[in-house]
Amino acid sequence: MRKRLGVILGLLIAVVLLAATAQAGTRTHKVTNVTLAGWSSGPDEDTLLNQVIAKFNATHPTIHATFQVINGDYPTAMTARFAAHNPPDVFYVDSSVIGAWVHQGVVEPLNSFVKASKFDTSAFFPKLLGAFESGKTIYGFPKDWSPLAMEINKGMLGQAGGKAPTSWAQLQSVAQTMKSKNVVSGGAPICLAPDWARMLAFVYQAGGSLNNLSSPAAEAAVNFYVGLIKKGLAQTPQQLGVDWCGTALGKGKSAIIFEGNWLLPFMKSTYPNVQYGIFPMIKDKTGGNLAFTVSYSMAKDTPNKQAAWTLLSWLVGKQGQTLWMSKGLALPSRKDVKAVGGRQNFLAAAPYAVGWGFGNPNFSTAYTVMNNDLTAVISGGKSVSSMLSDVASALKG
Amino acid sequence: MATASQAATPPRSTMLGVRLREAGWGYGFVAVPIAVFGLFFVYPFGYALYISFFHWGILGKQAGGAGTFNYDKVVHDPVFHTALKNIAEYTLGVVPLTMALGLSLALVINQKIRGRNFFRSAFYFPSIASSVAITTIALYLFNANGLFNHIIGSKTPWFQNAPTVMWAIVGLNSWTSAGTAMLYYLAALQSIPTDVYEAAAVDNTGAWRTFWRITFPLLRPAHFFVLVIFGIGALKLFDQAFVVSNGLGGPNYSTYTPVLYIYREAFTTFDFGVAAAAGVLLFALIFVLTLAQRLTVGREEAA
Repeated sequence: MRKRLGVILGLLIAVVLLAATAQAGTRTHKVTNVTLAGWSSGPDEDTLLNQVIAKFNATHPTIHATFQVINGDYPTAMTARFAAHNPPDVFYVDSSVIGAWVHQGVVEPLNSFVKASKFDTSAFFPKLLGAFESGKTIYGFPKDWSPLAMEINKGMLGQAGGKAPTSWAQLQSVAQTMKSKNVVSGGAPICLAPDWARMLAFVYQAGGSLNNLSSPAAEAAVNFYVGLIKKGLAQTPQQLGVDWCGTALGKGKSAIIFEGNWLLPFMKSTYPNVQYGIFPMIKDKTGGNLAFTVSYSMAKDTPNKQAAWTLLSWLVGKQGQTLWMSKGLALPSRKDVKAVGGRQNFLAAAPYAVGWGFGNPNFSTAYTVMNNDLTAVISGGKSVSSMLSDVASALKG
Repeated sequence: MATASQAATPPRSTMLGVRLREAGWGYGFVAVPIAVFGLFFVYPFGYALYISFFHWGILGKQAGGAGTFNYDKVVHDPVFHTALKNIAEYTLGVVPLTMALGLSLALVINQKIRGRNFFRSAFYFPSIASSVAITTIALYLFNANGLFNHIIGSKTPWFQNAPTVMWAIVGLNSWTSAGTAMLYYLAALQSIPTDVYEAAAVDNTGAWRTFWRITFPLLRPAHFFVLVIFGIGALKLFDQAFVVSNGLGGPNYSTYTPVLYIYREAFTTFDFGVAAAAGVLLFALIFVLTLAQRLTVGREEAA
């Protein structure tokens, strides 16, 4: 028994040694290892990104890129890596935290690389690239994005006249019709989250902006949004007993919701039989929408800056992004890359959607204030104007 | 090996030598735990104390000298005040409830009843299950259309409603931690000498009177221990508040706790100085409260 084990072991060692020498033989040039870190929505996304990276590795023999999935609390995990001076070379940055990370000095400015390699930045939608710029300094390139659109249950819309609303007034009247005809039994016509990541789009539609929250437009938008809930035309996911508005649409507890491209794979896998249409985001005085976008950025602390740039610029370049878009998980941030079918009503928002985060270093802190105050406004414990002034001062830091 | 052979030979050295050698062994044995304690508790605490006097970001110390400005910020921050108010409410709710539940369960399973061991494990089980998992399941059971509302005929989203959420967490946590309190009380109950009960029986004392006049006072050391352990635990509430509010401490700051405040200052605002200052203040608060408990409830025990 022991003798046979010895033979097997010996053979194994021989095989490993042989493989190692063969490997060494083919590697005539030095290979730089580059790590890419990000989160993942699931196995589909993992597989797709690994395919993209395999393609990069196959075409770049001197660089070997590997993808590290950080699930759970991404900013916290990354903070630990930055603090230890051991960050991944290239990593995802959500537009809501880019301002804070740039302020902390952990993100590498990319202008010199852009200039040296003559990288064409004009292919990107300016508003999306702008989410990762501070003045003229570029701190990342958007890998993809999604704005909000309006999704409506087709059957319920049919019972309420069949015409999708395009303005605030129409939205209110369609919801009113649905309510009086009891089209959405056991729920509410509209699902509205107590979340500034939805409501702020309405502020922009009213002609307001995050930089001017003391304007009458901002107050009018909040009053309209909260008013829909107070009139019983809309309910929050909490009131509906669901975790988010996507579930409300799936379970038939709401007819109209405002969500992004991420709704599509969710509906397909969880509620494949629900018939719903995707319509352009509602408008008021003007079109207003938010761009939820994530960049590929480079760590200031990486020793492999040139290799990291090669990977980064390939991933956000035309070839890399075309491959990344092939499964429709997100929308292209480049004008020269096509989205998969059925996304035109999302893409319509590209010219005017503002990056969620606004490059403000205090944004994620202010977000705590935004949503805590909004729940208080909805329950009647706080006035709209005092919420707006709280948020404005939190944004100033 | 050399030391072992020396120890095996008959003692030729003086008593002092033996003492010294024994002490050496003793210190040798405690050296490892002390080193671990120092490395993972004393050093980080000292470092946090140091950080709390500086402007400190992700990459370390920032411009500007030392000062107590972080403490000023925490002490004057209305959000921290809300967090203190929330945690006070929570602690005053959860600690007595856990103690009462734990004692009741201990009294029940201290009886000679059939299936005693099964009940002991069953009551203890929630204490060892993951708090995040339990909270997530509770969110479903207690949502607007959840099982609980179905039974009582209500529509209240217990965990998403500012006036109810802290009390919902109080209920949840007193249920989960009652099992641990039960264990402590059970051990104490079994250490009460039986002769006092025999004396009570001779005097024909009723069960109710026996409990209040004999059992309850004799459990005093256990009361003190459970009060301190669960009091400290309650003041450090984080998991449930984080899961319920998605880390934002909402709705309307109703689940903002001091530890969540520390977390958000560190990992959302990246102001580690303020986070460390809040941590030091929380430590001081817990220290003073525990000392006060020791001087009142634990008075005889300490003597």
